Formats: sequence, structure tokens, C-alpha cells
Amino acid sequence: MLLKVKNLNAGYGFLNVLWDVSLNIGKGEFVALIGPNGAGKSTVMKSISGLLPPKSGTITFDGQVINNQDCAVNCRSGLSYISEELNLFTGMTILENLEMGAQMLEDKNKARENLDFVFELFPRLEERISQYAGTLSGGERKMLAIARGLMSNPTMVLVDEPSLGLAPQVTDEVFNALRLLNRQGLTILLVEQNVTKTLKFSSRAYILEKGKVVLEGPSSELITNDHVRKIYLGT
Amino acid sequence: MNNSRSIKAVEWLKSSGGITVTCTILVALAVSIHKGPYVLVNTLVTGGMWALMAIGVSLLFGVMNISNFAHGEYFMIGSLTAYYIMHPLKEYLLETPNSFLAFITPVLGIAGATLAGVIAGILTDKLIFAQLRKRNREGWLLNCFLITIGLSIILINLHMLIFGNTFKGVVNYWDVPSLALGDVYVSVDRVVVFFIAMLAILFFWYLMMYTTLGKKIRAVAQDENGARMVGIPVNRVYSTTFALACGFAALAGGSLLFMFPSYPTVGIAPLYNSWFIIILVGFGNVAGAVPGGFMIALFQVVTRTYMGEGWENVIPMFLISAILIFKPYGIFETKVRSVWEQ
Repeated sequence: MLLKVKNLNAGYGFLNVLWDVSLNIGKGEFVALIGPNGAGKSTVMKSISGLLPPKSGTITFDGQVINNQDCAVNCRSGLSYISEELNLFTGMTILENLEMGAQMLEDKNKARENLDFVFELFPRLEERISQYAGTLSGGERKMLAIARGLMSNPTMVLVDEPSLGLAPQVTDEVFNALRLLNRQGLTILLVEQNVTKTLKFSSRAYILEKGKVVLEGPSSELITNDHVRKIYLGT
Repeated sequence: MNNSRSIKAVEWLKSSGGITVTCTILVALAVSIHKGPYVLVNTLVTGGMWALMAIGVSLLFGVMNISNFAHGEYFMIGSLTAYYIMHPLKEYLLETPNSFLAFITPVLGIAGATLAGVIAGILTDKLIFAQLRKRNREGWLLNCFLITIGLSIILINLHMLIFGNTFKGVVNYWDVPSLALGDVYVSVDRVVVFFIAMLAILFFWYLMMYTTLGKKIRAVAQDENGARMVGIPVNRVYSTTFALACGFAALAGGSLLFMFPSYPTVGIAPLYNSWFIIILVGFGNVAGAVPGGFMIALFQVVTRTYMGEGWENVIPMFLISAILIFKPYGIFETKVRSVWEQ
């Protein structure tokens, strides 16, 4: 198991959002975490990434407990987080954003390789290389955030709602990129609201409701599950 | 391309920033013609240093959301260190003249002052603000405001307790004749101080724009969580920022020792000036601090020349109140980003 979350409880202040959430993600898997608004999907991501210290439970990444580790340290050990708010450096150009994404790499040649790689993945970014991140469109911002997350050579990425607010075509572009990355060996944990599409792309999924995991299994099975069909697919 | 650039330039001239800058330059020229060029010299010497102070305050606000009311005390630390390096050396030089040592004394003093500021800045961050960051961020802005005021009071009184309530200054840095520019005599100290300020600003600009460290500082300023997500060690960047800001304040203190002898409350005036500048150009606008510094210095020199010493804070204060009423985001219309929006 690359990432192991056991009995995670987390929340903001006195308010508990997650109740005993457990996830297991193996190397090279493409796992989705789906659920309705306010189920705590983003809270799971924040806790794993280290932005929000969990109240109890253990998170193990690559054999090491990373419970109270800072987000920056997690990033250095290969766990990259692409947040819902994107957290881009809006006053910096695309190139500078990407450089910052690779700033922890010692090997500058590797950084250049990664840069070529993400430009191949999202050619649109290369066209706008010296444009400020704050002036990009929503889709381009998403691409930039994903590209920046990939610049540090991660072994696993946490992607939070990449399709939020995007046109269907751009969503496809982003999902195809994620699938391509997964085929190249990258482990992905994806949070999504677009259930049909997510279940098509991912190999396994967890369903989170009211801060608890209610269902888990291979995506192909979940897509035919009665509960999922009734609540998420409306059929 | 060229045409669009000239259109942009015209637009900028029509904006409030452009109008203010143009007016300032015109006033500077008019006053120097009327009252003699020493007005311009004084403005340039002090303006550069106020710009350095304001860059520090602006940086701390922009990167860490700290409104530093103790920034004048780092000026004081700088001038104190410079005094205690230069004074004994000058005494020694009186007995045993040595031209090389005489040349190097002010350099040592100013360098020592900067170093002391850097160390003081790192200590402040590690001992106070790093501890505060480890707790929660609730009420951060107000907490920092109170802490820096407390720090200011403590440092002023420590100075009084340890070094006494006296003026500690040196008359001049280099015992060389003044430079003659036509029929105007300008002391070498002032020229050197002006160039120190310019070099420091250039260094700072290069650091922020082209080095990885500067990019990291900008990244943390623009999005702290984003910086953590790409693995930037945020705490180290904060310490560096503090070191830079306080180092600049101390550099200003050390460089202006011949104009402002060190005493406990010497930092108050530079602190006020840097806040004037920041309100004038907008919170967190680091680049704007440079023209702002010269503008405030000019306001003060002009009021001092025409209205007398007592008015030098009144007129800038009045102008700043007017700016706050009509242009609450400063003349360059900076977008204020604060903890509330994070």
C-alpha cells in the first residue's frame, strides 16, 4: 500500500467533519473519492496533504506515518496536492509558477525534463508561457495547477475537483491527461462531483457521505450499484 | 509595439500615480531653482533611506501580514551598532592616524549595522513570530500589531537602560573635502549614502525578480498554502524576509548616523516616515515604496525650508489624510490583500 488512511477523524475547530475514514491506495492505482456536497471530500484531501492536521487516526505514506507533517515536507517525499482553490501564484508567470513547482528538485536537468513533459501534456500552457497566472481562464488555471503539481516528480498526486466550473471539452482534456499520467505509473487519488465521468476513468472508488465511507469497490461495479445509480446518476 | 507602449505611458501619466510623480518632480525642480540645489541633495539622501525602511515594512506586510510598528527600532539598532563600531575606531585614529583605517571605518560601521539588523530580524522571527504562528492564526493582524508595539517599547527602554539617554553620533564619516558641483558643495558622506541606498534597492530588486530565493518570497506572499503545496519551507522564507527587512532598516540607521545620532527614540521618525510612504503608495506595494520614499523626503525638506522644522510632520500627515480620503488604496491603487482574504 502506498497510502494508508486508518480511522481518520478531522475537522475545523470543534466541528468534526470526518468520522473514522479509512482508505487504502496501492501503487499505480487511480482511485476516486466521490460524494455529495459537504460530505468532507476536500477535508480528506487536506488532511492527507498536511494542510489540516487530523484530530486522530493515522495516515501512512510509503511506510511512514505523516500525521502531523507539514505540507511542504510531504511534497518533498513525493505526495503532491492539487487543491480545489488551485492556490496558484497569481502575480507570477506560468513559467515562474512551474519553476516554483520544481524548486525542491536538486537536479536542474530533471526540472527541465519535467517542464517539457507538462508542456507536452498541456500545449496551451506553452503558448502562454509568460502570461501571468492571474489572467488565465478557468481551464488554463486548472491545467497550470495540475502541471505545477507534477513538476516535483511526485509518486502520488491528490487532485481535488479538477472539473469544477469547466466546460465539458476542457474537462475531458484534464481527465485524459490524468489517465495518461496514471498509465505512466503515477498513483492518483481524485475527488470529484462528476460521478459518471469519474467512474469511467478511475479503477476503484470510495463513496463518502456525511463524513463516512459508505461504499467502496471497483468503479465498474459501483456504476451498476443501486444506491449509486439512485443518488448520483439519477436513474 | 512601440505605439502601444507609448499609449500605455500616456495612460500611466494620466493615472493618479503618474500625476503625483510628475508633480513631485516638478516641485523638486522648482524648489531647487528657488532655494538652491541642497534641497535636491537632502531629498535624495534621506529619500533613498526612507525608501529602504518602507521596503522593509511593506515586505513584512505583504509577505507575512505583519504591520511592523517596531521597524524604527531596527533603525535604532543599526545606528547604535554603527556608533559603537565607528566611535572607538575614530578615537583610536585621533592618536594614530592611518589613512587606510580611516577609509575603512565607516564601511565597517555600516556593514556591522546591517549585520546586526539581520541578526535582530532573524531572532525576532524565531523567538516571537514563529511561536505565534505555531499557535492558531486567529486575530493575527491585531496580535502582531500589539506585539510589535510592545517590542518597540521594550527595545527603546532597553537602549535607555543599557546605553543611556544621550546622543551618540559621529560628526562625519570621511575627513575629506566636500565635492564641488559647480558652485554647490556636497559632502562626500551624503553622496556615498545616496549610492548605498541605490545599490541596496538595486540588489533588492534583482533578488526579488531573478533569484530563486526572491521567487520563493513572492510565492509565499501570493499564496502561502500554495507555497507549502510545492514544498517551499515557509518558515525559513519568513525568517529570511524578516532578516532582509530588518537588515535594510539597520543599513539605513547605520548610513544616516551622521545626520541622526543614535538615541533611544531615534527610530520613531523613520518609522513614521515609512508608514507615511506605505499609506501613500498602498499597503504591500514594495516597488512603489521607492518613489514614495523620495516623495515623502521631498515633502519634508520643502516644508522644512519654507515653513520651519515643526511643520515637517504636519504637512505630510495632512497630505496623507487627503490621500486616504480620495484614494484609500494609495496613489498607485494597490490591491490590498490581507489575512481576511486568505
